[in-house]
Amino acid sequence: MTTIRLENISYKEEIRRKTSKPLIWIGIMSIVMFFGGLTSAVIVSQGSGEFLKITMPFAFTVSTVIIVLSSVAFHFGLISIKKGNYAIAKLSIATTLVLGLLFVVSQYLGWVSLNENGIYAAGKESTQESSFLYLITGLHVLHLIGGLISLIVVLVKIMKERYNAENVLGIQISITYWHFLGGLWIYLFFFLRYTIA
Amino acid sequence: MSTHHHAKDFLFTYVFSQDHKMISKQFLVTGFLMGFLGLAMSTMFRLQLGWPGESFEVIDMFLGSWAEGGVITPDKYLALVTMHGTIMVFFLLTAGLSGTFSNLLIPLQIGARDMASGFLNMLSYWFFFVSSVIMLISLFVEGGSASAGWTIYPPLSALPQAIPGSGAGMTLWLVSMAVFIVSSLLGSLNYIVTIFNLRTKGMTFTRLPLTIWAFLLTAIIGVLSFPVLLAAALLLIFDRSFGTSFYLSDIYIGGQVLEHSGGSPILFEHLFWFLGHPEVYIVLLPALGITSEIVSTMTRKPIFGYRAMIGSMMAIAFLSFVVWGHHMFLTGMNPFLGSVFTFTTLLIAVPSAVKVFNYLTTLWKGNIIFTPATLFSVGLVSTFISGGVTGLILGNSALDINVHDTYYVVGHFHIVMGLSAIFGMFAGVYHWFPKIFGRMMNNKLGILHFWTTIICAYGVFFPMHFLGFAGVPRRYYENSAFPLFDDMVDINTFISMFAIVAFFAQLIFFFNFVYSAFRGPRAPMNPWRSNSLEWTAPVEHFHGNWYGEIPHVHRWPYDYSKLNAEGEYVYGEDFIPQTTPLGEDEKDGGEH
Repeated sequence: MTTIRLENISYKEEIRRKTSKPLIWIGIMSIVMFFGGLTSAVIVSQGSGEFLKITMPFAFTVSTVIIVLSSVAFHFGLISIKKGNYAIAKLSIATTLVLGLLFVVSQYLGWVSLNENGIYAAGKESTQESSFLYLITGLHVLHLIGGLISLIVVLVKIMKERYNAENVLGIQISITYWHFLGGLWIYLFFFLRYTIA
Repeated sequence: MSTHHHAKDFLFTYVFSQDHKMISKQFLVTGFLMGFLGLAMSTMFRLQLGWPGESFEVIDMFLGSWAEGGVITPDKYLALVTMHGTIMVFFLLTAGLSGTFSNLLIPLQIGARDMASGFLNMLSYWFFFVSSVIMLISLFVEGGSASAGWTIYPPLSALPQAIPGSGAGMTLWLVSMAVFIVSSLLGSLNYIVTIFNLRTKGMTFTRLPLTIWAFLLTAIIGVLSFPVLLAAALLLIFDRSFGTSFYLSDIYIGGQVLEHSGGSPILFEHLFWFLGHPEVYIVLLPALGITSEIVSTMTRKPIFGYRAMIGSMMAIAFLSFVVWGHHMFLTGMNPFLGSVFTFTTLLIAVPSAVKVFNYLTTLWKGNIIFTPATLFSVGLVSTFISGGVTGLILGNSALDINVHDTYYVVGHFHIVMGLSAIFGMFAGVYHWFPKIFGRMMNNKLGILHFWTTIICAYGVFFPMHFLGFAGVPRRYYENSAFPLFDDMVDINTFISMFAIVAFFAQLIFFFNFVYSAFRGPRAPMNPWRSNSLEWTAPVEHFHGNWYGEIPHVHRWPYDYSKLNAEGEYVYGEDFIPQTTPLGEDEKDGGEH
């Protein structure tokens, strides 16, 4: 009896090539709806009329600059791979990774600053808007940690020279998610800036 | 081969399988087991409602401390109602129905060897399994399972000290649902990508069976709505465990003011129903797709209005996102906003009516073969109509006020959503059983199952409308404190009697299912003489679906009883498989 070997490498590669990008895009759609739900919740809560404004920490503005720069660096890395320039690609992806980590640090500094100014995430002295501010930014960082893991995988694979001009699918998946996270942060930053802060 | 190899083969073939057909079976069996528990719970609380305060040995035996002396306690009654709703809506009719048939049919009907990602597919099932286990564990924790209703409105769900079920049971409910949502998202991602990217040559979108269109739209609704429920659940978890006040404000318990301020439980309702209403269609659309397929095959007629069917499903999917407010007419909503939600809600009647019209016109003058699958499909058309018309009253804000939170609502949604979906699921199991297990089910037992089920189902849910009109509120443990409802006691007893018979009727199905899976007659390759691609695959299961090349598709799947100019069947048979190339003068039905 002949059976179809789905473990066959070329079959697996073909399926991967056909489906990886749509999978990440539809995954992104569901994340959009997740944050859409949370930011809609902010708008509905504002309707109650008891919403107090709070000052956005400067560290969050710095975060915005960092994440834009990280996207530029990542893009530079992808172009370098396509041109076969591994040294610059390694440098660019490593820079992206460092900038990603710096983004997390700047978010943490933002939370510390909020806390020092008496704006708490939870408890008796917290308000609905302060809780939203911590929660939404925190959940974005959680998603970004996924992006950082994918960046590490990409970096390791570049070190091992697994990518080349024809094979950049893994990087494209990772960069799509990373750019999305950047775009998402910019949306959240301005949304929070003009609703809560 | 060594024992080690046998064990490994067993593990990867039956447990951690990445084959969509095995995963489909896993969803089916787990979904049915959960569904059976949900059914048993409802039968037990129906005993309480039908004969309030009476002691039943069977309740004592199964519920133990939840029903000292054979009488369910009021708090555990609420727990049973909550768990029944949760299990039926999510575990049976969402994961059980979609998980089974999307997994079985998507690759087989579009002509793919498997899903886009077998690994994600496997994860999807195991997340579902874990969430089922967590939900079941919640029955055994201190205080009992969640008791705030399947909609888990705060503050009952947000304050662990509110009622007995608000403690560990509620926490486990939330954890279970979070895991469930991950499972649903992984499944939906796979379904969408597989349909878009892995169709065989010739399988254009206008040649897709309506089942596939239904599964696609269901998955899209799932991907867009479940994340919002996840957001709602997260805010609830934070309110419960970390002292935030998203849904809570100025609450006093035992004379003590709690620390929460500024939140609103209405916010939860908005977020919950943004998922909650699309969820109705996550449950319904697969059943409607299954019915389309069965009605056409068993009437030996092309489906009437193929494109209108697709268009109406798209319209239903879109509209399902803009009607959530009709669940909240009595929350102090601005009457103008209420009228907007009334308008969008009533609009759904249009595509729904198109579907019903098309089912009836397909059945009209058809050469109907009355298999259990056909009967359950026709049963679905019946419940979709009778449950749909009562929806017109509930969807209208001015009328809804009179029957809101009464048994009218319970009767309505059980008929239109519960019965329609479970009838679709039964129809699907009877129809594709030969594909799932390679054996046939017993027809006579199936027909007996159908007639007892539909008679009992109407016996249970139809009278509830009268209870609702009389103002009997839902979710009450008993109504003896309200003399106003004294005349209603007999109706409740009547309903409960039908519920008990309905429970035993399902045992006929379970017997037929288990017996046929092992001892039923061997199925031929295409027992229903059907056109769609799954019937071209060999009866025996193996990973990859077809030996050699995947068949190509040349026509839509509804070429039944096609006649030539001389009035004879075009290819000598009353069905033409999708793999048959179009003749010179033939047109593809899906294109026109």
